[in-house]
Amino acid sequence: MRLAYWMYEGTAHYGIARLINSLRGVHAVFHAPQGDDYIHGIFAMLERAPDFPPVTTSVVDGRDLAQGTIRLPDTLRQIEASYKPELIVVTPSCSTILLQENLEVTAMVSGIDCEVIVYEANPYRMQEHLAADNLFTVLVKRYAEATLITERPSVNIIGPASLGFHARHDLVSLRRMLNTLGVQVNVVAPWGASLDDLRRLPAAWVNVAPYRELGQKAAVHLEERFGTLLLRDTPIGVQPTLRWLNQLIEMLNTAAVQHDKNVEITLPPLTAFSLDGMSAPSMVPWFSRTADMDSFSGKTAFMFGDATHVVGVTKFLADELGMPICGAGTYLRHEADWVREQLDGYVDDLLVTDEFQTVARRIEELRPEVVCGTQMERHTARKLDLNCMVIAPPTHIENHLLSYRPFLGFDGADVIADEVSTTATLGMEKHLIDLFGDAGLEAPVHSTNGHTASAPTNGVAAAVADAPPVAAPPASSGPLAADAPVQWDADAERLLKKIPFFVRAKARANVEKYAREHGHSLITADILNTAREHIGG
Amino acid sequence: MPPKPQIIRENGLNHSFCGLVSVGWLYQKIKDSFFLILGTHTCAHLLQNTLGVMIFARPRFAVALMEEGDLSASQPHLQELIDEVCQEYTPSVIFLLSSCTPEVIKVEFEGLARSLSRPDLPVLFVPASGLDYTFSQSEDTVLQALIPFCPVAPPEDKRVVFLGSVNEVIADDFLTEADRLGIPVAGFLPADHFHDMPPIGPGTVIAPIQPFVAKTANQLRNERGATVISSLFPFGPDGTRDFWEKLAQAFGKEIDLAEREAAAWERIREHTDLLKGKRVFFATDILMELPLTRFLRACGAEVLECSTPYINRRFLARELEKLEGVKLVEQANFDRQLRDIAELQPDLVISNILSTNPLVGKGVVAKWGTEFAFMTIHGWTGVNTLVGMFTRSIKRHRQLDPLGSDPVWTTGIMPSAPKVIPLVS
Repeated sequence: MRLAYWMYEGTAHYGIARLINSLRGVHAVFHAPQGDDYIHGIFAMLERAPDFPPVTTSVVDGRDLAQGTIRLPDTLRQIEASYKPELIVVTPSCSTILLQENLEVTAMVSGIDCEVIVYEANPYRMQEHLAADNLFTVLVKRYAEATLITERPSVNIIGPASLGFHARHDLVSLRRMLNTLGVQVNVVAPWGASLDDLRRLPAAWVNVAPYRELGQKAAVHLEERFGTLLLRDTPIGVQPTLRWLNQLIEMLNTAAVQHDKNVEITLPPLTAFSLDGMSAPSMVPWFSRTADMDSFSGKTAFMFGDATHVVGVTKFLADELGMPICGAGTYLRHEADWVREQLDGYVDDLLVTDEFQTVARRIEELRPEVVCGTQMERHTARKLDLNCMVIAPPTHIENHLLSYRPFLGFDGADVIADEVSTTATLGMEKHLIDLFGDAGLEAPVHSTNGHTASAPTNGVAAAVADAPPVAAPPASSGPLAADAPVQWDADAERLLKKIPFFVRAKARANVEKYAREHGHSLITADILNTAREHIGG
Repeated sequence: MPPKPQIIRENGLNHSFCGLVSVGWLYQKIKDSFFLILGTHTCAHLLQNTLGVMIFARPRFAVALMEEGDLSASQPHLQELIDEVCQEYTPSVIFLLSSCTPEVIKVEFEGLARSLSRPDLPVLFVPASGLDYTFSQSEDTVLQALIPFCPVAPPEDKRVVFLGSVNEVIADDFLTEADRLGIPVAGFLPADHFHDMPPIGPGTVIAPIQPFVAKTANQLRNERGATVISSLFPFGPDGTRDFWEKLAQAFGKEIDLAEREAAAWERIREHTDLLKGKRVFFATDILMELPLTRFLRACGAEVLECSTPYINRRFLARELEKLEGVKLVEQANFDRQLRDIAELQPDLVISNILSTNPLVGKGVVAKWGTEFAFMTIHGWTGVNTLVGMFTRSIKRHRQLDPLGSDPVWTTGIMPSAPKVIPLVS
């Protein structure tokens, strides 16, 4: 047993929900207590899902356990009636798996026509990524059918999934590059794929599966079973993207020969990959040669995250931005060997842990200029007053921005470079602030009784200290002039301090306005509360 | 006696959180506490996803993480973990919360908590598992655990104890108001610090300010002989007036706050004008639904359905009297609610944080019910905030261009959603 404050990977059922919310016409049912339903919130909040994810908790409560009732058959019937899915995936939770019920039999009892799979992911052995990846492989094995390949060169994009790190943006970036090559997308899976789409996966000439965490096992199966060539490199950074494009072209041309198609693909001029079709496809190679970036010389970075992003972004920072890497690590124990092998020559001592305290200690020792990590490292960096950018899940709503921010491809290289330079530049400004004082961030505030105090922490105390001894509040006798001095007694000041600092100044002004309008020149606790009744909050 | 309102009970297939989520506000309220949850990865993931969004400082809660090897142990060993907590923090009390997995393997929590307790650092068991407890319900069990730490007040100590956790701003408002009315105050349960819990005895008047603390109120009545006032809850001018009048009565004071109430209504007239005739649907789980429904109806709105996880008929008796004719649902079936919402097209749906955005996606104005649990909506000073919570969404959605609700704007956001053919070309 150990003490856990934060977790890097989500649970198995979260992984399953991410996969099922990526597919069309499939529904997941969790045979679980009410509390397991929280994962809905992650879709609703982080992905701002405009509809309900096809994920239902079939509630198990204490009374059900005592009475031996099981609501699963009812739930399955209700889901079939309401959503008419092609497939329902039933999964036990970390608590119900201990009951050792036969869910296959229970599902059969429901008598529904819809296909049902019971996926017993053991949540004590499997977390988010393995659960999602294994279930995806199960489904691909089950549905992919031998078929003729497409007439024109085509690829499947395998791996993007709901709540994958910048997955929707990466997909756009990949589509843009494929478009430029004149290669059509046969299927994207799991993102947006129906079971029919899974059936026709083998029609593609090549599979691209850029994420270690999801899709590569299924793509290996497609290669072994149907002979579809597999490109599993990750195009993070300009040079890797160029290599990726060349490899893809080579594979497509090989497939053309294998399948007797009279097609030859060549790499168009690189400007064709830019947004306007006539510029450099990425600013990074020039940017990293500029004097701006020279001021970055020697700025160190510490890397931590999943497998794909730690490897890709570490190489990008080292190879293309010329930054020294002072350490790296991953929380995906089952990928540690792969990450170590990939980062050979970049990092000596790979940190492999899923305890954020351990990562925090390493960061504290190293005190890098830039921390590239997850939301947990952002917490750590804030605590240590270091700069941090998020390169891997788990994420915070701040990472789910509206604008196009891929990590893959030429477009992605620009996004990552921007992120590095703004993260670290802000750091430099911060040093200037440390050197020269507040840099205007904490400008003195004029309190209306004529005293100048520095806000926010000292303002109230200073104002109170400077105020003349307080006499009894003058009787109210009609409104005071708009600029009439108003004072606060100690009690009212104490109450005011309890209002959050970021609205305190506004509250102070409003209360003073109210006091003047009602002819009070001294604000007491009573007047403050009466004022709050009138002006709210 | 007025006719009893009909309460429909459904099968509870709805979206909600478990009791662990109340840790989110209780650890902030009781400033020298630590909340230790005996649970699994699921509990830890739940907490960081529901509470982590708000928290940047050091959280004073953690999960004693049960891994596969721990499932076979008869009784979990927590002493080392508590020592680890004490190295980082110096809590005055540790709340040990149960969760689903240890409930299933029948961990004996009472004995476990006793064996870990020290005189200087009590470890208090709080049942909070999602098998039995929803969202705000477990605040009640935390407060129950605190009762033994409230000193016994002598019979002649006739003062009020406000029951339910509220923030300091609301607490100050209640203190000021009690002072105005000449009502002596013994304190709040919970207090800000573990060693400052208020004295409670046969002379104490318990004034519940949160509608989900029934068990604590009951236990204080039975064990300490305290008087629990039965009033409306202090939400809105109507509830606040009734609350203070009934509380004053318990101190032998007959007061009439009619004018105060009227003035409060007058101040929010702009809002109530907007709410008049509006049709509101409650599909949430904060256990404040009954008082909020009563307030909305007093504002002139029509409440199409008021669903809530469960209704304590005795504790909410005064509220229930005011809800004649309202469709009250316990343990709602969310699928049925969705169909009703589609058919009735309410002007406003108050829903769980898990289902709000998807409801908005279906073209209704929906609002996070959870916000009511975190806003200063109690008492006289809370009136504006409270009414504004209902009108703000309605007003804002009115301002938005209706073109924005075309399905084209949600195309491609959600991979599992059907492919949408844009209406606008």
